Amino acid sequence: MSQHIQMTVNDQQVGPVEVPEGLKMIEFLHEYLNLTGTKFGCGAGVCHACTVIVEGKNGVSEVVRTCISGVERFVDKKVRTVEGHAKRNAAGEITELTPVQMAFLEHFSFQCGWCTSGFINETTALMERLAQAPVAAADVEQVIEEALKEHICRCTGYVKYYQGVKDLILNTKGLTY
Amino acid sequence: MKATSLSRHTGFSRRLKAALLSLAVFGGTSVAQAAQDQAALIAQGKYLAEIGDCVACHTPQGGRELSGGLPFETPFGIVYSTNITSDKETGIGHYSYQDFYRAMHEGISPNGNLYPAMPYTSYHLLTDADTRALYAYFMNTKPVSQQNKESEIGFPFNIRMGLKAWNLMNHEDSVFTPDPTKSDSWNRGSYLVNVLGHCGECHTPRNAIFAMEPEAHFQGTVLDTFEASNITPEELNRQNWTHEDLKQLFTKGYSRKGTVFGGMYPVVYHSYSHLTEQDMRAVTSYLLDNEADIEALPLAFNGHDKSAPGYNTYMGYCAGCHGQDGEGRPNVAPALAGNATLDRASVYNAVSLLLNGIVSQHYNSTTSFYAMPAYADKFDDQQLTDLVNYMRITWTSQKADIGVSEVKDIRTNMKQSVH
Repeated sequence: MSQHIQMTVNDQQVGPVEVPEGLKMIEFLHEYLNLTGTKFGCGAGVCHACTVIVEGKNGVSEVVRTCISGVERFVDKKVRTVEGHAKRNAAGEITELTPVQMAFLEHFSFQCGWCTSGFINETTALMERLAQAPVAAADVEQVIEEALKEHICRCTGYVKYYQGVKDLILNTKGLTY
Repeated sequence: MKATSLSRHTGFSRRLKAALLSLAVFGGTSVAQAAQDQAALIAQGKYLAEIGDCVACHTPQGGRELSGGLPFETPFGIVYSTNITSDKETGIGHYSYQDFYRAMHEGISPNGNLYPAMPYTSYHLLTDADTRALYAYFMNTKPVSQQNKESEIGFPFNIRMGLKAWNLMNHEDSVFTPDPTKSDSWNRGSYLVNVLGHCGECHTPRNAIFAMEPEAHFQGTVLDTFEASNITPEELNRQNWTHEDLKQLFTKGYSRKGTVFGGMYPVVYHSYSHLTEQDMRAVTSYLLDNEADIEALPLAFNGHDKSAPGYNTYMGYCAGCHGQDGEGRPNVAPALAGNATLDRASVYNAVSLLLNGIVSQHYNSTTSFYAMPAYADKFDDQQLTDLVNYMRITWTSQKADIGVSEVKDIRTNMKQSVH
């Protein structure tokens, strides 16, 4: 059995496209859209490497694990993957990275990069939340821990990721008070 | 003469030596035997304390075992569990056996009446031998110096004299009376479940003054976030629980019929997973009111109705872990066919689990479950109703007869805390 689905991915309208029932979102990204930046890790929703952003109600985004979510969850939704963050020119070449991506580069946050797309999406969503609801500077470490604690990294031991996010939040206007 | 005297002397000396030797041997044996008996008594008490699940309530989050301080929200205010380590200053190390007996059987500690959050209303049926074993164990636990917290019970319930009146109305110390029409194993199960396991404290509804209603024994009741299930033999047999299903549930936290969650996780982790093989069979025989093996009937997957509201929600949000056809995934999510949480008249727990999720559960090095996400801010009442109805008709014999207002009421009334 198959079904027709449509959604918006990285500001591009996708579909209606025929897909089989039971198709996971990560398979859709990889096999139908050739967006392979979102990584398949544990396949059980534990490692959070496959996290993408879905635009939610009232401008509040939510993060969703694509390895345990069917495509039905994303129908008519706006989805952002790691490929959708950096600015590109008309030829599709990257011209400017986002502050989150730059922070991770500057802090040497990752090595193999398997978990990086998940960290970037989770951190981007966190930054957007903080822009709407700033937190006390003293609470930043706790806020980061709460947001990123489920993301598993097997290379750098988290410190460089967390440090990068902390510096970014504290040096971005309007996120803390 | 000399020889005779010597002979007498030698004879006396030998007899004296023999007497002293035998005294030493028997005395030594007696001391060694006493130590052995005491060690056996302590070990027995430890097992009983595990089945009584004392550690679950008397250990604070991240704190020292049995040192107390875990808060319990009651309709009358917050009660904190107390330090029951063998510490003589802050624990119960100074209790005499009589003190301990009164606390366990009458709900009266040397400091006054205990709130019935302490299940003396179940423990009072403990045999004297078991109470002595428990006492031996608790007097030999590792002492932890930690002051007890004052309960935050509002007026007039903070007046402990009121507890005396409550006890007069609702509690009478008595002895466990085996049912002569049942087997020893069934009666042992009844003792373990009703007395030590104090299952009725959660699974039996309470009246307006917080006393268990004996006529509604084990019929289930809403606690806070979750509903303690109906665990009467009628309901368990209707759901086709077998001895093996219950054994799996009580030892690994999951079974053919689903997983435990909420307050049952510590019960399994700390308590029932320690039951001996014989006691486990006694418990399941009592709960099922059947000692014979029970045939496990095929679990129902009634097929998908793709036009039904709720189908797309299931496929988009649930199928990733619970399987496209509800087959579940080991160590991740339970199967849905015949799932006991779905296959029941009450929809409370199904809705509650979807709203609040389930925290990760760890049992041993090979068995653990990752958390189920909470969907309180993802689904509106209509989506929730459609999803729950869809799961009921797809994997159980229940009808899709849950209305939006019922789901709305559950969401409104329940606390949004994650368990």
